[in-house]
Amino acid sequence: MFRHLVSSSGLLLCILMGGVIAVGCARLPYTTTVVHEDRRVIVSLQRDPDAVPFTHPVQLQADDLTAVLSGFSFREKQRLPLRWFAEEMPPKKIFRSDEMQAVVPLLVEGLGKAAPDERVYFQVLAPGMNPAAERDTTAGWIAVREPYLHLVLEHYHAQFPVRKSEQWDLRYPATPPLPKTYMLYFEPGRFWETEPEGGRQAVQLREFLKAVIPASPK
Amino acid sequence: MGRAASWDSIARPCRLIHGIIVVIGIICTVIPVVSAHAVESGKLIEKDGQYVFVESMDPATRLLLERAYEKGIISQEERDKAIKESETRAYLMQPSFKLWYDRGFNFSMNDNAFLLKIRGRLQLRETTRWRNDAWRNPGDAKNFPELLGVFGDYRANRSDDFASQFNLRRARLLFMGHLLSPDFKYFLQLGFETAENAQTPGSANLLDYYFLSTHFPLFNVQLGQYKVFFNRSQINNTASMQFAERALVMDAFTANGLNRRDIGLTIMNDDEIYPVNYYLGIFNGAGPLFNRYGTYNSEEATAGCPGGQTGGNPFPSPAGCPANTRNLNANFRDEIDKLMYAGRLQWNIMGRPGYGEGDLAYSEMPQMAVGGGLAYNPGINTSTDNAFIGIDLANLNFRRQLATFGNARQLGWGVVNYTTYAFDGVFKYRGFSLQGEWYFKNIERTFKGSPCLQFNAAGACTAVTPQLMGNATGWYVQSGYYLIPRKLEVAARYAYWDPDTNAAGDLVKQVDASLNWFPFGTYDYQLMLTYTNLAMGTGGYAIGRSAPLPTQPPGAVNPSGTVPLDARGGTLIENALRVQLQIFF
Repeated sequence: MFRHLVSSSGLLLCILMGGVIAVGCARLPYTTTVVHEDRRVIVSLQRDPDAVPFTHPVQLQADDLTAVLSGFSFREKQRLPLRWFAEEMPPKKIFRSDEMQAVVPLLVEGLGKAAPDERVYFQVLAPGMNPAAERDTTAGWIAVREPYLHLVLEHYHAQFPVRKSEQWDLRYPATPPLPKTYMLYFEPGRFWETEPEGGRQAVQLREFLKAVIPASPK
Repeated sequence: MGRAASWDSIARPCRLIHGIIVVIGIICTVIPVVSAHAVESGKLIEKDGQYVFVESMDPATRLLLERAYEKGIISQEERDKAIKESETRAYLMQPSFKLWYDRGFNFSMNDNAFLLKIRGRLQLRETTRWRNDAWRNPGDAKNFPELLGVFGDYRANRSDDFASQFNLRRARLLFMGHLLSPDFKYFLQLGFETAENAQTPGSANLLDYYFLSTHFPLFNVQLGQYKVFFNRSQINNTASMQFAERALVMDAFTANGLNRRDIGLTIMNDDEIYPVNYYLGIFNGAGPLFNRYGTYNSEEATAGCPGGQTGGNPFPSPAGCPANTRNLNANFRDEIDKLMYAGRLQWNIMGRPGYGEGDLAYSEMPQMAVGGGLAYNPGINTSTDNAFIGIDLANLNFRRQLATFGNARQLGWGVVNYTTYAFDGVFKYRGFSLQGEWYFKNIERTFKGSPCLQFNAAGACTAVTPQLMGNATGWYVQSGYYLIPRKLEVAARYAYWDPDTNAAGDLVKQVDASLNWFPFGTYDYQLMLTYTNLAMGTGGYAIGRSAPLPTQPPGAVNPSGTVPLDARGGTLIENALRVQLQIFF
């Protein structure tokens, strides 16, 4: 009876695992090309299997993109119970000027190389609280689906481990934190629209560029 | 423009008033003194759980300085000098240490020469299990017996059929960090848990305490007490497993044969830099918090003559050995020249899969590694040779370690040398993981021949062991897949263990299935539901538990009784459901 149970359960598990593996597929975006990587910035192209195709590649000027990104600010989205009681914090800018100067040219390069099913993922890096073990990371991705520009912020000055295992306890994996959900805002607000395709909020890029004088890089 | 925008968001009106007062002081006193270049600087600080970049200089001060410069009140040199001095002052005034929380409470000097990280880990478990009648009679007297009393008499591990209990399976406190430089690390782990089958509450135990030098990535040196770098399943942390518990076979094939931890030294390279990794270690081979000085034998003053109680020269006593004149039981320290040697070689064929089970990180590229370990641990005394065999006087700590890790069939066979092999492989890709290991332990008995168990009044041997103990082997394979990446995993495992290759009916087979939830996408916080089906054979001969039982002196009754503990055989079956919550903060 019990031996039968053992063999039956083993068979069942094998079938279950086989089935799961057979139907399994990549459901998280994955990197296809690394555009640039150094100690300050990492920019790569990611393929998102679930995304509606973008209109990549797209050519943008660095000044134009700087102007767009300067208009963004954000708040961290609190979980529901906390949301009711959380003190309303003023929105913050995503990038400082030095960060903008470092990342924008590479984002422009990435948008020029991306395929329609790819988005441009960025990580802006700095030494972490414990520089030997952690890296301060602001990360997210941008993409263009004409005439809209999408920006998603996933990490804001998050502490990423620099190694795959802990520095002290070599056996314990060091995994980066999960992306958080941030509520983005854009000024001027009249260019912050809900894209009909996909229903996500995005910047009306072309109208914005027509209306706004690009920021000077100087 | 970007800077002006950031001022708008940071500078609040209430700070402005304060800033005006400060800037007036600065303009009146500091500015004319030194010339320097202004720098844009600041630092990240942790505030209310968020990391915020804070300018080194008060934003209001900076604003007023800029305005003063724009209006021509001060020159550019004066402005730059004021900013530089203000930042210098802020730097000098700040505390020389920082405190923050990030995967533990962190305390660090600003120059990062010293770091202390304090973490705590709790695994709270509820176990519901159903066992068959064989657990009542005969129970398990061979793999995991209980050793009770001063001499460690055998008791079968028996229980009721049904059990449902809560347990603090792991309660740990960790202190780690670095001294002098980030390349000189330390790690200390205390364990406060009680084993599930323990008869008394647990106390604090020093589990790990080691220092690690990473100054030379090709020759990292770790010394102290820690888990031996030998086989994959033991190197892995119990906080990053796919199941609530290791398979029994994993515990049975540790490097020293006694425990996964030992005291010694390991030289290894940095496995995140080099694709091929080596680990070479030398240890006491006696388990944690212990060394070979604790191992002993019973020998008379005359070398080679077995000891015993005063006037009670034990059997068989070689001709020429004098009669005992005083109590010579267990008073001679031997095997103290022995050490354990352990090595491991690993090839990271693709990526760096590491040792954590499952692909929680959702590897974008395939991760694959194969490895193997070899360990030689000689001179483990499982019983003395003074004919107290089976109810022996060998060090109880050694014997209990053997029983705790499921190797109790090896008890009673005198001094043994362990040579253990392990080969493993792992593959991870996009949430899928597959890993397995194969083990073999060669058990070399230094006391050759069949041990004599019973003697007649004349001292002649009347019964020997019906068979000799063989070696041990086993393997497992386990696989998992994240149904929701980084959040929800399903995993299964099959394990096979033959604890005595010379015995029949002793196989241990184990099937596990687990559903694991990681709410924050890290191993730190997890909820596991693990089902285990275990079938453990009770066959085979085990000294002191199987017939013929050893007796000494002639005609005496074995302390374990006259009926062998395995008089009624059968297969021990257990179905267990373990719900385990881990909080690693």
